[in-house]
Amino acid sequence: MKLDLLVVTTKIKKFIIKFAYYLVLCSLSFVFLYPFLKMVVTSVMSDSDLINITVNWIPTKIVWGNFKVAFQELGFKTYVWNSVIITAVGTVGHLISCSLAGYGFARYKFKLKGVLFAVVILSMLVPVQTIIFPLYIQYSKMNLLNVAKGYLPILLPCFFGYGLNGAFFIFLFRQFFSGLPKEMEEAAKIDGCGALRTFFQIMLPMSKAAILVSTVLSMVWHWNDYFEPKIYITNLGNQVLPSRLPGLYKLLNMEDSMELVEEMGGFLFNNAMLMAATLLVILPILVIYMFLQKQFMEGVERSGLTGM
Amino acid sequence: MNREKEKKKQKFMTMERRRVMEAYMFISPWIIGTAVFFVYAIFSSIKLSFSEIVQLKGFVMEWVGLANYEHILVYDINFMPIFTEVVIDTIINTPLTLVFSLIIAMLINRPNAGRGFFRTCFFLPVLLGSGYVMQQLLQIDATGSVGVGIALPSLLQGILGETFSGVIQAFLDRITLILWKSGVQIILFLAGLQGISSSLYEAAKCDGATQWESFWKITLPMISPIILLNFVYTMVMYFTSSDNALVAYILDQVFTSKDFARGAAMGWVYFLFAFVMCGIVFAAARGLSKDKEA
Repeated sequence: MKLDLLVVTTKIKKFIIKFAYYLVLCSLSFVFLYPFLKMVVTSVMSDSDLINITVNWIPTKIVWGNFKVAFQELGFKTYVWNSVIITAVGTVGHLISCSLAGYGFARYKFKLKGVLFAVVILSMLVPVQTIIFPLYIQYSKMNLLNVAKGYLPILLPCFFGYGLNGAFFIFLFRQFFSGLPKEMEEAAKIDGCGALRTFFQIMLPMSKAAILVSTVLSMVWHWNDYFEPKIYITNLGNQVLPSRLPGLYKLLNMEDSMELVEEMGGFLFNNAMLMAATLLVILPILVIYMFLQKQFMEGVERSGLTGM
Repeated sequence: MNREKEKKKQKFMTMERRRVMEAYMFISPWIIGTAVFFVYAIFSSIKLSFSEIVQLKGFVMEWVGLANYEHILVYDINFMPIFTEVVIDTIINTPLTLVFSLIIAMLINRPNAGRGFFRTCFFLPVLLGSGYVMQQLLQIDATGSVGVGIALPSLLQGILGETFSGVIQAFLDRITLILWKSGVQIILFLAGLQGISSSLYEAAKCDGATQWESFWKITLPMISPIILLNFVYTMVMYFTSSDNALVAYILDQVFTSKDFARGAAMGWVYFLFAFVMCGIVFAAARGLSKDKEA
């Protein structure tokens, strides 16, 4: 009887712990999901739903037209390609240069290693904003400013371990490579395999996890960044997709203050359309992430970051 | 005999030299990058902060010593208040971010139902972007309050009174922002937690350690390198994020007022602070690891 009671109480205790655990998890994820869901719901609302305060989550009718207007207003078709080019080239640059440098720092011993790696950390610490102006002058002296639609100043550093958070990726690759066993390389060396070939044919195929993590992060950061594009890309037609948003938001706020609603192709220029535009801007990255999600998470788990 | 030894030594030397050559081959792109995109910019920015631009065309500079620094630290009425505010914000937010992201990482590290869903949830902020999109989604206004965050229930607001509930609401806003900025940190902590062998925990359990004890004695020491990495990353993120008032002010100086030299000086005052902070953290980390060895 007493034993039974004990079993029951431990069961209840376990249940309560589990319940509390899921409660905490769910409420935390709600903080993240809420603004996102709000955006998705608002993006398909009709004009009357937006004003109607009884309509909070479920729109009376779904208006896909918001997306159509947003698509046009963003100039999605032209600007998305600019973003794709910058993201793709920048990511490839990061993968090549940072994996090479990370491997060099992880596997070799040389005199200046400590000093040079300190410089890597230092370059992570210096905000882009501090040195962007001298860099700008430097590019203009080198006549690189308006080369390749003005993308060159953004993309070139990526191939040399700099650019958006380049040092972070060097660090990541270094951590990863130092966690891999040395036997494979030694075997390859005995068989007469050169250093570069060892790297490309043996080490890189073994480091899918690190490559995946870096790819996703570099992609996301490049896609969302609009500080550098704002400064280097002078021709408006060559701008990136996220840089279109501030203009749209400003337009709406202006209209609010004038209490004026502009009619656009049968649809109203309103908050719903703005949310649709915001969703469109991040949609490509969301879709890509959905495909990579599983491998990405597995990659994170196997990235071996503890072996520092 | 002797000659043979010499020969061996020589061969060894060349091997070693070859290794060094290989090492430099691997990091040579980065070295070129450092020379072209970093060192020059750093030095000219430092030089600029001690000079005045006499002629914008062709960039003729004149050395003025500490005048720019004097100006921003003594005469500029905007710089110091913004600077102190950003510094205090960073000092509060960075440890909070680390604590929250570690808690979340530990929560989703347990085997549970809906693991994939929760992980995607917590990574969502990273995907949505750190800058403009997030600001709009959370409806952050100029005063830093969050429109769509954790809100105090109106019933509680009535009980607590206006001033007190205002303080709590400000705190909740901060938590929302911090949670939204901890995506990458969660991922990195998760990677670290996965790397800890479960046999360590089992052994501790056999020796009668509670979960609380094994957290302090196993988890924390094992992930301390990641704590360091995350600390640096978090601080840099707060320092450079686009909703940072000081960054906005510096950019305004440079690109609107065209006051390049003062902008550079501000940047360096700001960087110096970040550098000192990181130095303290690195020193503390080293001191801790020495304690462990002793």
